[in-house]
Amino acid sequence: MEILILFGVFTLLMLIGTPIAFCLGVSSFATVLYLGLPPLVVFQRLNSGMSVFSLLAIPFFIYAGDLMVRGGIAQKIVAFAASLVGHIRGGLGQVNIVTATLFGGISGSAVAEAAAVGGLMIPQMKARGYGADYAVNVTSMAALIALLLPPSHNMIIYSISAGGKISIADLFTAGIIPGLLYAAALMVTAYFVARSRGYPTEAFPGFQAVGRFFVISLPGLLLIAIIFGGVRSGVFTATESSCIAVLYALAVTMFVYRQMTWNDFKHATFGAVRTTAMVLLIIGMAGAFSWLMAFLRVPAALVAWMNTISENPIIILLLINVLMLVLGTFMDMGPTIIICTPIFLPVAIAYGIDPVHFGVIMILNFGIGLNTPPVGAVQFVACAVGKISVWESMRSIWPFYGAGLVVLGLVTYIPALSLWLPGAFK
Amino acid sequence: MSAALRRLGGFLGGVSTLSLWLAGIGLVAMTAMVAWQVFCRYVLNDSPSWTEPGAVMLMSWFIFLGAAVGVRENYHLGFDVLLYVLPKSGKKWLRMISDLVAFAFGNGMVWYGSQLVALTWGTTLPALGISGGWDYVPLVAGGALVCLFSLERIVLRLSGEPIDDILDDLPPAEVAAELDTANLKA
Repeated sequence: MEILILFGVFTLLMLIGTPIAFCLGVSSFATVLYLGLPPLVVFQRLNSGMSVFSLLAIPFFIYAGDLMVRGGIAQKIVAFAASLVGHIRGGLGQVNIVTATLFGGISGSAVAEAAAVGGLMIPQMKARGYGADYAVNVTSMAALIALLLPPSHNMIIYSISAGGKISIADLFTAGIIPGLLYAAALMVTAYFVARSRGYPTEAFPGFQAVGRFFVISLPGLLLIAIIFGGVRSGVFTATESSCIAVLYALAVTMFVYRQMTWNDFKHATFGAVRTTAMVLLIIGMAGAFSWLMAFLRVPAALVAWMNTISENPIIILLLINVLMLVLGTFMDMGPTIIICTPIFLPVAIAYGIDPVHFGVIMILNFGIGLNTPPVGAVQFVACAVGKISVWESMRSIWPFYGAGLVVLGLVTYIPALSLWLPGAFK
Repeated sequence: MSAALRRLGGFLGGVSTLSLWLAGIGLVAMTAMVAWQVFCRYVLNDSPSWTEPGAVMLMSWFIFLGAAVGVRENYHLGFDVLLYVLPKSGKKWLRMISDLVAFAFGNGMVWYGSQLVALTWGTTLPALGISGGWDYVPLVAGGALVCLFSLERIVLRLSGEPIDDILDDLPPAEVAAELDTANLKA
């Protein structure tokens, strides 16, 4: 009954469109009242859920990303990627994916990336005769690379939801090979779709030009090395490196590129305030919600139930994947990670799956969900930038979904893809 | 719109802008604090003890202020599929329920938050040298603003203002902010 109240109130409020943060808070409050516990505990958990030092990395990484988009770092990376892969068939599609990979290593947010890269690339692609649906689909699918490459703030949310015991450095490292594999799968898909549609090729500008564009974009690209190197080597904590990312982004955009105006700075700051206040309020509310789930022993009940279906980890993983894919299409990424981690992670551990590996699986699953209706922030942004409807994009997105699912399958069933690199660093 | 309502809207708009500015300043101050911590640790070899709890407390302020503004500007993440398929009159009621839920929860934040402040007022946060009750003050302040802003929406709707029609013409809230970025660079 208590579990029914917790999930029932949550689902009901969510369906009528109440903000997720309040759905989580009110359903926890109702359950606590029913259980006869002091209601104070909900608000105390809400407060303690967001008063965690490592959470500071989330506003900082989002802020750094906003500053970089406003300050011109993204354009420099597009120019570099264009010189590098523009001569491949369907060149601008390839440029889009390579840009997303490089920029993803800097910003870490898929929605910001779809807006930044899409805003630059989609109009260009349309002007050169690429179909708007192709431009939108390549942009939206490529934006998901940001979720897998460091510094993905979703991995920080996962680490915190798991009780903070999973190393952020390991998670960051674990996402690299799956992220690059996903990028490669998209490039192959984009190539074949472009060939069948007869899209143009650009001339190769020569190695000198590649070198020149590389040097121009280098200050931005260096940030990848600073963040990853700092966290991986243990010199900086994730929070400290995220703060350095903000300062570095400010320094590069103000003194090197000199594109940051006071107005840009103000916009970036308020943009970061809006995004992070929303995400972090949800994290706080989910603190109360997941505490109740643990109190009511929901994860244990789920493990017992799954045991009745199968004891084979391969089937259990398939089942969890399907469940997460479905949940991901209906909900946004941050809240889904916070709610699902305490439920699914104990199940995964019970079946011998490494928590770091499971984190990568979860992020990729929910990432694909960001690109599917009914709730798909990345797809909405890309479609809005490309000025087409979600349905127009859906008509031709299937080859790209296929590529995503193949990579998901590989990442799920070949643990070494996620775990080899973190192991190699130890 | 009556003159009183317009004055109230202007006043609350001012409160909301002020909150947004304070939250923005909080974000910059947080950055400065953690940067100072890094500097002290690596350059002066001496970590100050107040930066971590100080930055975390600033973060609470920044979250609750930003989240309250989110209620007024309607940028909180929600599942709005049902809102797209329903006719306008139905939507209005669902949005009304959501605003009432936010109002009720905001009241809870003020009421129980104040109790938490009272319970912990006698304790001291060692690193900052202030009362432990300050941990919960942002919760109370944020709750009060959430109440105020959700009540404003309820009153406007009851008085027949077209606040829901405006929402229908906008892209989903979380998308709108990013579109702003995309248009800027296109």
